[in-house]
Order: sequence, then C-alpha cells, then structure tokens
Amino acid sequence: MAACAKGLDKLIFSLRSLRTLQLRNERGLSTSVCRPSPREDNDPPKFTPPPKPVVIDKTQTVASMRKFLSPEFIPPRQRTDPFKFSMERKDMVRRRKVLNIPEFYAGSILAVTMADPNASGKMNRFVGICIQRGGKGLGATFVLRNIIDNQGVEICYEMYSPRIQSVEVLKLEKRLDDNLMYLRDALPEYSTVDPDMKPESCSTSGEVPVNKIKVRMLPKPWSKHWERPRFGIQGIRFDLCMTPRQMEFVQKWAQPWQEYDMLKEYDTSRLEEQIFSEVQREMSK
Amino acid sequence: MRLTLQMLISHGRVARKMGMGPQSRINMLRNILTGLVRHERIETTQARADEVRFYAEKLVDYAKKGDTDEKAMKMASFWLTEKDLVPKLFKVLAPRFESHPNGYTRMARIPCTQNLDRAKMAVLEYKGNPFPPIYPTKKQNELTLINQLLKGYREERAQLFAAKS
Repeated sequence: MAACAKGLDKLIFSLRSLRTLQLRNERGLSTSVCRPSPREDNDPPKFTPPPKPVVIDKTQTVASMRKFLSPEFIPPRQRTDPFKFSMERKDMVRRRKVLNIPEFYAGSILAVTMADPNASGKMNRFVGICIQRGGKGLGATFVLRNIIDNQGVEICYEMYSPRIQSVEVLKLEKRLDDNLMYLRDALPEYSTVDPDMKPESCSTSGEVPVNKIKVRMLPKPWSKHWERPRFGIQGIRFDLCMTPRQMEFVQKWAQPWQEYDMLKEYDTSRLEEQIFSEVQREMSK
Repeated sequence: MRLTLQMLISHGRVARKMGMGPQSRINMLRNILTGLVRHERIETTQARADEVRFYAEKLVDYAKKGDTDEKAMKMASFWLTEKDLVPKLFKVLAPRFESHPNGYTRMARIPCTQNLDRAKMAVLEYKGNPFPPIYPTKKQNELTLINQLLKGYREERAQLFAAKS
C-alpha cells in the first residue's frame, strides 16, 4: 500500500509538471498569437461579421403586455415554511434565465426539444397539444399529446429539467377546461397535431383566444366518467353521446354544497400579485 | 410488512368527519350556524363548536362585503336556513364587527355535563352579545384593608409627583 502511495505521488508530481509545462507553452503560444505574426500577412484578415442590431419594440408599452404568472409559482395551501417556496422560486427564475419557457395554457400546441443520448443528433423533438399542467415549484410538469402513425402518444415533460433544450409555442390558445384528459376518449382528429406545424404569431397584449370547441367522443366506456359533475367538463358534446335521462342520472353525484363550502376556498390574488412582482424583479436583473 | 400508518394519519385534512357524510356534515353545521346567528350564544359539543367557529367567522367576512355583493348574498342565503336572519346578519352583525379584522367568536369549554352520553360540551358566542360574559371578571372590593392602603400609597405618590413638577 505504501509502495502504491509512493508511486502515486511521483505520478501526480509528473502530471503537475506536465500541466505547468503545458500552461507555460500555452501562455507562450497565446502571447505570440496576439502579436501580428508574419504568417498572417500571406492570408487575408479573418472576416468578422458586423454586430447584430438590437431591436427595441416601442409600439407595445409595458402596460399593455399581458400579465401572466405561470401557475407553478403559486404555492399550494400547506403547512410548509414559505421560505422553502421562495428558495424554489429563486431556482426556477435562475433556470428561466437560461431557458425561455413561454406562456402557455392547456390546449396550446407546443414543440419541445429534449436532449436524448439514444437519438440520432442527440435531440428529439415532440409536437403536441398540452392537455395538463401539473405540479408546483421545480417539479412542475406538462403533458403533451399527439397521434403519430395512428398511435396516441402522451409525453409528460418536467419544465425545469436540464434535459429540455427548448420549448416553443406553435399556437397559443385556451380551452373551456383546464384539464383535457378527456381527449383520450375523444375522436382521434381532436388530438392530431401536424409535427411540422409552423408557429402561429401570437399577440403579447390582449386576451388569449379561447377555443370554445366541443369535442365528440368515442362510444362508451371511457377511461373516466367524464360526464360526472366532479370533473366539471364543459368541452364535450354530451348531447351526442348521452340521453337526457342519463344526464339526469349523473346528477346523483353532484355535490352542490361544495361551491358554498368556505373551507375549500383558497384565495390566491394577493399572493399572486406579490409573487408576480418578485418574479418580474428577479427576471429583469 | 406493509405499514398502514398512512391510512391512520390524516395528512393535512382540516375538516372533521361529522354526521352521515359530507352533505350531512354541511347540513348540521348550517343548522348550528343558523342557531348561532339567531341566539348569538349556543351550547353544543366541542367538536361541532370548533367546526362551526371557522364557518361563523368566514360568514361574517362575507357579510362585511355588503348587501349588494352577489356572492355574499348567495352564501348568506345558503348558510342561514331561516331567511329572516339574512337581514340580521348584514345589518346587525356586519356593522358590529367593522373594526375587528378577525376573531368575531369566542369558544369556551364547559366542565360538567348533564347529558346521558357524557359528551363534552362547549359554548360558542359572537363577541358583543347582550348576555353576561362567560368568564365573569371578579371585581376587586375597594373597601378591603390592603386596597385602601394601596389607594393611599398611589395618592401620595401622585401628590409628590405633582409637587416636584
């Protein structure tokens, strides 16, 4: 053991000397490159492109820009210390400074490129409609759905994962519901998105367009009882798939007292304003 | 070995189970709340009083928003089963608690029970009610020796202070 240690010492010393020699050599080379060497006179000077112009859009004022706070910033109602959420928010802002995560809702069409060691070109791109935005804080996720070769594919991406290289919004729009999981039981035409779709221009001011489409469903049985009032789904054409008698029967599961239950209310308006101003400040630094 | 402690721990659930289900619980709390708004002091079991306390305070918060607010009116008409108490809520209770930011109720646990089932009872009241207080303050008798001596001492000190300044 002592012999190995001695040998290691000599190795480390030799490595160190090599490194210092290399550094000295590099330093020597770099100083020589800075000075105009006779080698450069034979080749023409290297082309340096002109600096890119900085575009400042003064047609849209700051006041008219739409105020959007991503839902994963709003902490849930818990007994944890708010310091934990503020720490998470700092990390989220740090990641957002590197990767631009645009504003999107359930029902918008996104294209996500993710680093993949097994794919050719090391990246894979997936285009789909966002059906759900879940999770709070750094573990926030969104699920994209698309139908490729007659096979429905859903991928759940973590927004703050370092594997994600870019998130583009191809079409920004909202739907009548926050959760479009019922698209699994809808006709495939409502979930197909063209993978080579071009991004549509979206305005940064004004209301986000709400697509009031009502989706037609496949015949029952569905994966969940989407007709029940606990899901509160507005975006399905129930008149085509259910009789009025069935609709009345389903009201048995209605809980009308829930909207009056004050214990279930979680008023986030003040919290939202606070967090929005905090995030704006951090992002502009 | 599967430990089922997960099923025994409530994990952040704030609503107690009462009655025969969530609907029965809400109906029971509604009745108790209506009684509280009518009589301003009621006696129930400790668990029910604790649950109603939260709803009573939230109802007053809604009442403070005013008569004209739609949501406030809907809440009041849902929670008060006797409709003649709705104007009482908006016109008597809401102005009474204008200056209070929170804490409109007081709950006191009662020791002895005359009930057969030995249930622990509590008294829940809105502050500012016309009844005598639950915790009566003992008035100090001024005519006792010690109180007279202390009174004399305080007066002497006041005289000295006035003479100095």
